[in-house]
This record gives sequence, C-alpha cells and structure tokens, in this order.
Amino acid sequence: MKTPARAAAREILDSADDSLLDLVDNLLNKGVVVSGEVLLGLAGIDLIYLRLTALLCAADRVGRAREEK
Amino acid sequence: MSVYLYAILGAQPASCGNGVCAEPLRLVVSGDLVAVVGDLPDTPELTAMTLRAQDGVLRRLAAAVDAVLPARFGTLLADDAAVTEALARRRGPLAQALGRVAGCEQMTVRVWGDGAATAPTAESATGGGPGTRYLAQRRQAQEQAQRVPELEPLRRRLGELVRAERVERHDRPPLLATVQHLVPRGAGGRYVAVVDDARDALRPWRVSVTGPWLPYAFGEDAA
Repeated sequence: MKTPARAAAREILDSADDSLLDLVDNLLNKGVVVSGEVLLGLAGIDLIYLRLTALLCAADRVGRAREEK
Repeated sequence: MSVYLYAILGAQPASCGNGVCAEPLRLVVSGDLVAVVGDLPDTPELTAMTLRAQDGVLRRLAAAVDAVLPARFGTLLADDAAVTEALARRRGPLAQALGRVAGCEQMTVRVWGDGAATAPTAESATGGGPGTRYLAQRRQAQEQAQRVPELEPLRRRLGELVRAERVERHDRPPLLATVQHLVPRGAGGRYVAVVDDARDALRPWRVSVTGPWLPYAFGEDAA
C-alpha cells in the first residue's frame, strides 16, 4: 500500500476548496464502476468519506460569511 | 502495465490526447461502447492534482463527443480483455446511461438548514396485518430518502430544464441534502439564474449550486 496516499488525502481535505470538494465527491463517490477491484489501491479513501460532509459544511459557512459582507 | 479506465463513450472521438500521467490515451471498442484507457503501471496517486487532471481529461473528451460516462477514479483493469469483458457484462445498462447523459451536463445543488430536516409525513398504514404495515413503513422510509420536498419551489421553476435527478439526503445538519440535476449542455448559466431567483421562495432553506460538471452522478444504474 502506498503510504504517501494518506498524506495526499489529508492535503486534499485540508485545502477545503469548494470545487475540489465537489471533484472528490464526483470522482470518488460517483462515476461508473465497471470493476470490482476499483479503489483497492487507494489508501486514505475512508478518511475522505468521513470528512467530506464536515468540510462541505465548513465551505457553506465560509460562503455565507462572504454573502453577508 | 495495467489498463486505467477514464470513461465510456457512445462514439469514437477523433483524438483523445494524453492521460493523468501524460500517457497517451487509446480506445478499447466493444460493439457500440467505446472505453478510453491509458496504460499505467498502477492507479495514479490520489492528490488534488491528479483529481483535477482526470476531470480535465474527461472534459476534453466531452468536448469531442456527445455522451461521456466518467469512470470512478482508480479504475484499474488487468488488460484490454478485462475492459472488453467489463463492458460486455453491462452492455445494456451502459448503453442506457449513455443515452441518458448524451448532450447533458450535471449541476449540483446542496440544501442547507438549521435543525432537523423536514419531518416525514406520518401517513400510517391502517389496513392489513403487522407484516403489511411493516412493509408499508419500509417503503415510506425508502421513498423519503429519495425526496427533497424543500426543493419543490425550485423544481417548479426549473421545469423541463431538468432531465433527470439524483438525490442524497444527509443526516448531518446544516447539510440536509445533495441533489444532482442533469441539464442540457450550455444550460448551466440559465440554471444558476433560476436557482438565484428561487432563493426567497426556498426560505428557510438555503441552497448552494456548483457546476456544470460532467454527468458523474448519472451512470450509477449501470454499475
């Protein structure tokens, strides 16, 4: 298992950029699965699923703060 | 070397360019299904850069053909035969999904609110025995998970702009639901304008919208 993958996942999550979060959701949660072996090689996936919703919520708060200004 | 799957298309593009790791892309054709693949030793490392790069590869493909079904990130198959076999196994659903997404793109709306989501309407089944009631309750719970009544005022305004809908309800306020809408390509701007117009009517719920995206969420029946 590639150990840098976990660090990479954390980096993705820490960036908390709205468009990146949607990319994560689209590319890792959606998209056609044609093979049972998909994602077996990707460490850090669970971490992403766990924190995705929390980060989306954070993005909403940032968006609202921007709107209120 | 393994075969990394990017997308399934309904037609052959004139050229495919390069993949996430700069590898030249090629086509694996099986009947009228066309898989776009690259030859890689392993799944690309999961980073912000590779995610953006894969989305970029798919957007380029979408500019060349009408119907693109993006594959899940990390879809690595042993060889071309494995790709052909995977396509053959799901030929019907894949063709159907390609028909659905042809000429379309995806808009994402998230519904936000404080406190609990709309309470399910308690429409208790009175007739029948306990088994019937149990089944009725289960069906109701399943239907509820597929519904976002908060968005009704928006749906009315969007009308025929929306070709298909996918719904996920979340149990973590303030995020209540994520709704994916399939709209004709190029209609994203109009879609955002309609959402902005609907904001007052949607209160107390707030909505955020992103897109256009490739139709990532509309291939799942094919899985």
